[in-house]
Amino acid sequence: MLKAYMILSIILFSIGVVGLVSRRNIIVIYMSIELLLNAVNLSLIAISADLADSSAQVMSLIIIAIAGSEAALFMSLFVVLFRNKGSLDANLFDVLGDKHG
Amino acid sequence: MQNEILFAILALIAIVSSVVMISAHRPIDSALSFIVTLISIAALFGLLNATFLFVVQIIIYAGAILSLILFIIMFLNIKDENLPDEKYKNRWLLATSIIITPFSAILIDLILRSDIAVKAVSYDNFGTIKDVGLTLFGKWVLPFELVSILLLVALVGSVTLSKRKD
Repeated sequence: MLKAYMILSIILFSIGVVGLVSRRNIIVIYMSIELLLNAVNLSLIAISADLADSSAQVMSLIIIAIAGSEAALFMSLFVVLFRNKGSLDANLFDVLGDKHG
Repeated sequence: MQNEILFAILALIAIVSSVVMISAHRPIDSALSFIVTLISIAALFGLLNATFLFVVQIIIYAGAILSLILFIIMFLNIKDENLPDEKYKNRWLLATSIIITPFSAILIDLILRSDIAVKAVSYDNFGTIKDVGLTLFGKWVLPFELVSILLLVALVGSVTLSKRKD
């Protein structure tokens, strides 16, 4: 049964990587990153249930906290970038490059 | 047997809704299908006896983070001309899936060949809030404090970013 959980986690991680690489909408890119974190959490919980060790559950609790702080930063970035550019296209957000000063 | 059937249903829901999430054009559709993915992953946590993580997943992910995303989507009032025109979106998705498939096939093959299915004896209060809390404040107290500093830094950073005028 552990192998089924690990395979599901690999499939979800691959779907997340596909969404992260091939989309240009910045909100979808953010949700793909969250999907990667969730796939890792799922495999950690499966291993923890299999070994009867709750350290992996604490690890995934810490990962959830990191995802929460990432969410706060991403939301303020969305607001700032949308206010400046008026779009959600990730290709327009090269604001640190030379041509914009 | 009942667990296997439940696992199959939940895995199917998670995979289908995450595929819908990465391929939907409007961000509101992606966010709503991502909620379905998160809740089915939370149900898988419950199936693995991780009751505390089940509650945390539903409260923090489906409750806080996703409602924050929905709030931002509503707040920005996104119209069709604000979205990137991804003319070749389906072609990109197909090409990336073809590239990523061999790597995940190798990983799945490795998992199937390995002998990791060691079924340990699960104790009574495994995965409850007492068990996880005792581990968190015992062995893992330093990472816990570091995460609290990280959350503070993220709070200050997001306030500073959103107050900028330029």
